[in-house]
Amino acid sequence: MRTAISLKGITKDYGSLTAVADFSLDVERESIFGLLGPNGAGKTTLIKILTTLMRPTSGDALVEGYSVLNAAKQVRRLIGVVPQANNLDRYLTARENLILHARLHGMSPKEYNPRIDELLELIGLASRQRDFPDIFSGGMQRRLVVARALLHNPRVLFLDEPTTGLDPQSRRAVWEYIQSLRSKMTIFLTTHYMEEADSLCDRIVIMDEGKALVDGSAAQLKEAVAHSHIYEIEFKGNADHYEGLLRSMPFVESLERNRDSFRVALKDEKDLKPFMEKIVGADIKRIFLKEPTLEDVFIELTGRNIRE
Amino acid sequence: MFRGAYSIWGRDMLVLRRSILSELLAVMAYPLTLYLAFGVGLKGYIADVGGIPYPVFIAPGLISMTAVNAAFDESAWSMWFHRKVQRTIEEYRVTPITVYDIVIGKIFSGFSQGAIKGVAVAVVIFFMTPFRFQFSYLLFYLAYIVLGSMIFSCLGTICGTLIDKPENIGRVQAVVIVPLIFMAGIFFPLSAYPTAILPFIKALPTTAMFEGARQALVYGVFALNYIVTLVITAAVTFALAVVTFNRKMSE
Ligand SMILES: Nc1ncnc2c1ncn2[C@@H]1O[C@H](COP(=O)(O)OP(=O)(O)OP(=O)(O)O)[C@@H](O)[C@H]1O
Ligand SMILES: [Mg+2]
Repeated sequence: MRTAISLKGITKDYGSLTAVADFSLDVERESIFGLLGPNGAGKTTLIKILTTLMRPTSGDALVEGYSVLNAAKQVRRLIGVVPQANNLDRYLTARENLILHARLHGMSPKEYNPRIDELLELIGLASRQRDFPDIFSGGMQRRLVVARALLHNPRVLFLDEPTTGLDPQSRRAVWEYIQSLRSKMTIFLTTHYMEEADSLCDRIVIMDEGKALVDGSAAQLKEAVAHSHIYEIEFKGNADHYEGLLRSMPFVESLERNRDSFRVALKDEKDLKPFMEKIVGADIKRIFLKEPTLEDVFIELTGRNIRE
Repeated sequence: MFRGAYSIWGRDMLVLRRSILSELLAVMAYPLTLYLAFGVGLKGYIADVGGIPYPVFIAPGLISMTAVNAAFDESAWSMWFHRKVQRTIEEYRVTPITVYDIVIGKIFSGFSQGAIKGVAVAVVIFFMTPFRFQFSYLLFYLAYIVLGSMIFSCLGTICGTLIDKPENIGRVQAVVIVPLIFMAGIFFPLSAYPTAILPFIKALPTTAMFEGARQALVYGVFALNYIVTLVITAAVTFALAVVTFNRKMSE
């Protein structure tokens, strides 16, 4: 494996709180890597360490072979960063925001002007380049931040929750854009959304409380829970009674209730028959097999929901 | 080296250029009010100070005060704003420039604001004052504006780096900056102080800044001791600002 990013036992403490705990990981070049986790999992902390904004309490990380501790400047030359919260300069126009970034990367006007034209065209902001970003919609601002991160042709792109807060349409636009960068650079993104990780990433690590819990491709992770058969059953009423019934079944591995509907995970394929026998005659409104989502993977592996 | 500092300073100057007229209008209001209230309003009640008409006596201090206040304001608020509100400092920090580029760029932005606004107020006050200063005196005087703006820009940078809550920046201004400026004798001669405390007052860098400025502009005296005090203060505050910012960023 040709490694783009290598974390070696990264730990970060904030006082007595350990935000990242002895985290090690290698990310392959030109792949899309997704770090998935609930609020406070430590995703942003990891990105800040990898982008040299923060020093780890212990451990080191290499980006394209350069240490974030000893060769931070070389690391910064090679990375593009889309932070969790947009940090555009509202006193500069969209184009001036890009120009300042290019200058800080030591680019000359001859280099940056055509590149900026191209990027503005690509993100659909060419006609708005003289406007100040504080009047842009959230989606437009996000696209501008992404364009800024790509301006200097980085080898590794970090995206911290690139689509949080965007409407489905803007989200899809950002996804398409990230897809189009596939195999041009290494992409390291964090997200809360299973769907996002599922559709974009070659490899996914789910983390919580500073530790990696699960590691694999979306397909592999789903495969891991394929054996646990998850059904959704909705009753016409009398849900309390049925809850008791379901809980009494020894082959029900986990049960979640939402009003009159239940999410039932069976232990094994062969449990389906006794299960059906027990609920025969119940007032069932509908029942269906659920394709396991990454969320199910998470619940399966950690025993709890991804907190939103 | 310092390409980054130059780019950041360039950004600040571009933003200043866009609003220069309203900025100048706003910055003139305060010193001109003081000038009219004290220089004209009180003129009849205050005898000449040491043979100098009162409006002329206070003019250099008002100009210097504008410059150093503007430098402090710009540096403190801009650093705070870019760090805490807009978080543009984080954007600067993921590019291949150093924290030194950032802090030096910001210090020079504050310095430039102070110098520009000080000169603008000077032009207006000179125009209103019936007293012509000699050109060579003006050059001496400029040295004080430059050094004063530099020192206060560094002080502002330190405040904007260390202070997270905006109201606390206001408090530092009210409790430290304003008294330091007014105690330095903008409106009265230092001889008004009791002899017991005069040495302490004279040791203040702001005294060097304001009293020195007055001596330069009104009498054409190039007071070396004041200049040396200011150069040393500027060097120390500059180093402190750079170290403070560097520390804060590696937290
Ligand atoms: N500067 C800080 N000082 C103290 N604690 C912090 C700081 N930054 C983060 N934390 C804590 O560290 C933990 C991890 O935070 P982090 O921001 O890395 O999480 P995250 O996975 O990015 O969460 P989110 O999805 O909400 O963005 C949290 O418990 C958070 O409260
Ligand atoms: Mg985060």
